[in-house]
Amino acid sequence: MAGSSVGRGSGGRGRLLTLAVAAVIAVAYPIPLQVGGYTYFQTVGFLVLLNAMLGVGWNVIGGWAGQFDFGPQVFLAVGAYTALIVLIHLGLGPWVGMVAGIALAVVLCALVTYPLTRLRGHYFAIATVAIWMIAQPIGATWEFINGSRGLFVPMKPAAGAVDAVWTLQFSGARKALAFYYVALALFALTVYVAHVVERSKLGFYFRAVRDDQEGAEGIGIDSRLYKVLARSITAAVYAAGGVLYAFWALAVFPEQALDLNWSVLPMMATVVGGIGRLWGPALGAVILIPISQVMSTTLGTGPLAGRGVDLIVYGLIIIVIAAVRPTGLLSLPWSRWARAWSPAPSASAPSGDAAFRP
Amino acid sequence: MELFFQAVVNGLQMGFLYALLAVGLTIIWGLMEMINFAHGEFLMLGMFGAWWLSTTLRLDPLLAIVPLGLAMYGLGVLIYEQLMRRVQLGDPFTQIFATVGLLFLIQNSAVAVFTSDYRFVNDTLLTRWSGVKLQLLGLTIGVPLLIGALLALVLFLLLYLLIDRTEFGLALQATSEDREAAMLVGIRPQRMFAVAWGLGAALVAVAGAILANFFAVYPQVGLQFTVLAYAIVALGGFGSILGTLLAALLVGVVQSVTVIYLPPAFKDAFVFGSYLLIGLFRPQGLFGRF
Amino acid sequence: MAALLELQAATKRFGGLVANKDVSLRIDAGEIVGLIGPNGAGKTTLFNCITGYMHPDAGRILFDGADVSRTGPNRISHLGIARTWQVVRTFGRMTVLENVVCGALARTNRVTEAEARAQRLLAFTGLGGKETMRAANLTLADKKRLEIARALATQPRLLLLDEAMSGLTPLETATAVDLVRRIHGELGLTLCIVEHVMEVVMPLSHRVVVLDYGVKIAEGPPAAVVRNELVIKAYLGEHYRERG
Repeated sequence: MAGSSVGRGSGGRGRLLTLAVAAVIAVAYPIPLQVGGYTYFQTVGFLVLLNAMLGVGWNVIGGWAGQFDFGPQVFLAVGAYTALIVLIHLGLGPWVGMVAGIALAVVLCALVTYPLTRLRGHYFAIATVAIWMIAQPIGATWEFINGSRGLFVPMKPAAGAVDAVWTLQFSGARKALAFYYVALALFALTVYVAHVVERSKLGFYFRAVRDDQEGAEGIGIDSRLYKVLARSITAAVYAAGGVLYAFWALAVFPEQALDLNWSVLPMMATVVGGIGRLWGPALGAVILIPISQVMSTTLGTGPLAGRGVDLIVYGLIIIVIAAVRPTGLLSLPWSRWARAWSPAPSASAPSGDAAFRP
Repeated sequence: MELFFQAVVNGLQMGFLYALLAVGLTIIWGLMEMINFAHGEFLMLGMFGAWWLSTTLRLDPLLAIVPLGLAMYGLGVLIYEQLMRRVQLGDPFTQIFATVGLLFLIQNSAVAVFTSDYRFVNDTLLTRWSGVKLQLLGLTIGVPLLIGALLALVLFLLLYLLIDRTEFGLALQATSEDREAAMLVGIRPQRMFAVAWGLGAALVAVAGAILANFFAVYPQVGLQFTVLAYAIVALGGFGSILGTLLAALLVGVVQSVTVIYLPPAFKDAFVFGSYLLIGLFRPQGLFGRF
Repeated sequence: MAALLELQAATKRFGGLVANKDVSLRIDAGEIVGLIGPNGAGKTTLFNCITGYMHPDAGRILFDGADVSRTGPNRISHLGIARTWQVVRTFGRMTVLENVVCGALARTNRVTEAEARAQRLLAFTGLGGKETMRAANLTLADKKRLEIARALATQPRLLLLDEAMSGLTPLETATAVDLVRRIHGELGLTLCIVEHVMEVVMPLSHRVVVLDYGVKIAEGPPAAVVRNELVIKAYLGEHYRERG
């Protein structure tokens, strides 16, 4: 995975080709559907892209830095609410709000996470849940953001296409399509940023901390700092996603913004698609979300209505993989072909070297 | 002021119940350093078990703790042998993830079978006495909660004796202390771990059965108790049974007192906050190890 | 001349056990110092204290004159001390090249520059051609070399080797000894080696320090230490003395 030396040649070109094809499909996908009068599929596409984007974000702290994090939805809420507050009180559009939301989320994340980096693996994971649980009553009772009554996006018809994109106010039959493309653009940007990070010093250091934290310290890596940096990148992506979500949903409620599923789906997508691999989350999202949609439409009115079944299936997937092939949670067999694309290192067995015992 | 002392007394009683809830985790976590995100789900199963047995078979939850305890013991052992044993030697991430999968499966199976509706246990020994109170030193003590607390305390003490005074308990401690040395003296670690999981699941389910008399029963009730249990175990020093008891009492009191001054939604926030603080400033817990 | 590394009465306790007691020693730049002693003598604890993974309960540790007694491991690495581990540890899920790149990134922010240095160090340590192998799949001897290459990539001035020869075949050991000599001769590093293999430590070291039950019981040129009564009694056994 070394920046320039490894991964060129026919593997690299095949990869570029697949990428190009996927990009064309992604851009062209909704057009025939739009012409055909549908909006549902564009919405599904939007959800796929949003969750794929969040998955890429989660992958930074979870896959690369190896810290199980059940709490990034807090930063999604931060992003969503910040953008709405900025719009409502300052009259500034969502893209400005996104910048503000990302900045605030990153600062908050750094402040809250740095002390927690003293905690290891399990303890850290629980701590992320604890923070989320503290955020819930705050979200529900904080008057400034209207508590559980929620904040609504002030509707203002846009003056033309450019203004619509600037204010993320789309209406009518074009709405799902427009949000699809906005999500696609944000997703592409997120992947690009992740790609740059992966090949940078950050990417190397994250994975070193994951593989052997003590050993990493011994070669000069401040593991606490890098865990914070990793989580902050995840927070930034989640904040951006939160803004997108807010303007798509037209309202933000603390319960929805802080929903655990914002962690669960991206996490599952990442596992199914291949943890640690740049395209893993996207692949996983493309697989899981349509399945989940199909399940809810077919079971929608029956006795098994509700999200329950999705999660039962996810649970079974995880448990079966863990029981049959524990390292599979780190990389699933059918991502072997994805490995040929992404020059990321293969990841089939844990390090196996002794843990540090003082 | 009187309100404060009242809250303390209530908190102490809840604390005994929390101790029972947390001690199973003390054994699993303290002994095997295995995280279990699904700990609260066992509690939920205990609660649902008690509710179901109470509504369909008219079996009082306090009596149901026997069959429930046994059933959950079996489940705990099964989960260890089929799942946790295989991820035990791997990396922490996979271990954590495996129990998260367990959480998804158990919680949502409950949703599928029972729906997310809140259920309540009625017409049991403790709920029939729900208005009965004791007056002591100017404080009002609800009898049902007192009985629940005493029952929890008795079970807790039995467990303590098991761990501290029996040969089996010593074997358990030995395994946690030094797995290889334990093997050298003929202890089979796998068996110890299986029993630890069985015990852990049984204890928290029994706590759930008792708690069902006081709390609403619904599938999502588990996660907050999971975090609560972790906070208690962390405060109590990761593996110290006595520490768990003291920490649980403290948590019960903190929770109870918090509600006087803050909206009820924040009831647990302080406890979770203290988990974070402990992690930062005193990772060995308030009471140290064993 | 000031010592590169100096320990002043360093003491480390674990509960009731005193792992290091009043250990004083100095290592001058350019030396190879051997650190020997029976198992449990406190050698690895000493390494842990020097490299910041533990801190002495009493006494001081000075590196290049600066007090590093309470400094953490990553800072100590930046100051110029690198180590390998008694039980080898590599970044198992990363490739050989990536492992060393991580080390090299301690001195540069540019990945391409780090890669270039990493390549040179892989060649130096005899791992050339194995760049794309996953570290977890290497043989023990190669893992140890990788650990060394990675440590060297941080451009240390002092390298601590903790039982680098253990578990190696005679041929692998000879290669490792040669590597240590080249690290000292060509790269100009100061070394402190913990070893149990006497045939390795004695010829390599300029000086030997002997620990027993946490206390320094002897220090000096290998030839002198070998004849020291205390050392023989504690560690080497009558047998070695008779062999001379």
